[in-house]
Amino acid sequence: MALLITASVPACGQEPKSIPRTAGGKVDLSGVWIVNGSNNLPADPAYLPDAKKKWAENKANLTKNDPAAACLPNGVVRITKLPYKIVQTPKLIVLLSEGNTHSYRRFFLDGRPHNLDLDPESWTGDSIAHWDGDTLVVDTIGFNDKSWLDDTGKPHSEALHVIERYDRPDFNHLQVRYTVEDKKAMSKPLIFTRVFNLAPNRDLKEYFCAYKGLVSLK
Amino acid sequence: MCKISQSQWLAAAILVCLCQTTGAQAQGRPGSTSRFPGAERPTSAPPPGPAGPLPRTPDGKPDLSGIWNGQRPLPHQPEPDLLPWAAKIAKQRVENYSADDPEARCVPGGVPRSTPYHTEFVQTPKLVLMLFEGNIHSFRQIFLDRTEHFKVKDLWYGDSIGHWDGDTLVVDTVGFNDRFWFGMSGEPHTTQLHVIERYHRRDYGNMDIQITIDDPGALAKPWVFNRVSTLETQIEMTEYVCNENNLDPSHLVGDSKFGDSK
Repeated sequence: MALLITASVPACGQEPKSIPRTAGGKVDLSGVWIVNGSNNLPADPAYLPDAKKKWAENKANLTKNDPAAACLPNGVVRITKLPYKIVQTPKLIVLLSEGNTHSYRRFFLDGRPHNLDLDPESWTGDSIAHWDGDTLVVDTIGFNDKSWLDDTGKPHSEALHVIERYDRPDFNHLQVRYTVEDKKAMSKPLIFTRVFNLAPNRDLKEYFCAYKGLVSLK
Repeated sequence: MCKISQSQWLAAAILVCLCQTTGAQAQGRPGSTSRFPGAERPTSAPPPGPAGPLPRTPDGKPDLSGIWNGQRPLPHQPEPDLLPWAAKIAKQRVENYSADDPEARCVPGGVPRSTPYHTEFVQTPKLVLMLFEGNIHSFRQIFLDRTEHFKVKDLWYGDSIGHWDGDTLVVDTVGFNDRFWFGMSGEPHTTQLHVIERYHRRDYGNMDIQITIDDPGALAKPWVFNRVSTLETQIEMTEYVCNENNLDPSHLVGDSKFGDSK
């Protein structure tokens, strides 16, 4: 308990850093963030029989079936313990990922509707976003059925629909509340929260995965 | 998504070449081997992008944000003054139809390699992002909040710092590995590589790009050339995943050391 108090009360003479805001008055989510605790789901999805079977099959063949082992993207729900970076502009927020495929997601805030014409099924889907007060709400559809929901092989279908609610409750933390819905694979949505810690002295490093190991990355 | 690999793009370029100019010969450097289409130097400038005024950010800088088409080479640009060892390797690579190109194996294309795919610029006062559609769906960060390079080495995209010179964004990058190629014409480089890119958004739809490649390990003098890019206003970027069903190497016709070409 003493430790908790020490951690939450600033040292004498120091003001706690307030939540930063952009010139437009929105909460500024910019920063480098690392997940606090496990990167796996805190609970199991309420899988329908076929999805349950697929999960069992993936668990029995973790290395062989893992898309990440073949340098393929993690998708949206599955994250790594490596840092992520948010770059925020009024109409576009970019989530950069150090690990897995060293790639990015784009959250469109310009009011556009979902558009799956170009990429009807992709690893990271189509993400549109809006502000609900100080919460950034990101709505993503248009997934393929190939990514996993975490490292333990949890599958999903192309009906996956992910809603992420991003909050910065204090300077040093990012809280993301997830609603993961998949009517073809789950009997009810999976709802959970992840907390990320600010990594103020860390930026993303280069991280790449080699195609069949043909080209030396080192 | 269903992706078009660089070699499929190349195949399309070859088709266009065969249909349109049956008598055309590849224009090699004097004393050098003929170039295959794709490693060819252009004979005319690409068509311009959409007209309109240059957008600016609230702080008055040119706003480079937007989706830009793949950087296109311009005609009559200087050739690199390669040191003998580097010239020998470039010649071998061209003669081998760039079959060993690492980029076809889904590793980053490095700097300043251009691709046929889009790049989205995302600009903030302290950071500019380049989000790549392909060759791999990755990104570069250009830091405008520091003037010194980090002590890094062996990177595909290096460490990039930027500053504004009037209306031109100047990007200075070091800390490279020596594994990527500058393009299908196969010029090699060393870890002494130092790249300076000057991005000038001339108007709404056109970006002039001047590139200086300095590498005392491979070049007798810095190689300076110009490219252009045009704003893409019609379509969004797609999720290009090189490692998904990558057919590129199997379309390469040279003798690949990786054993995966035709």
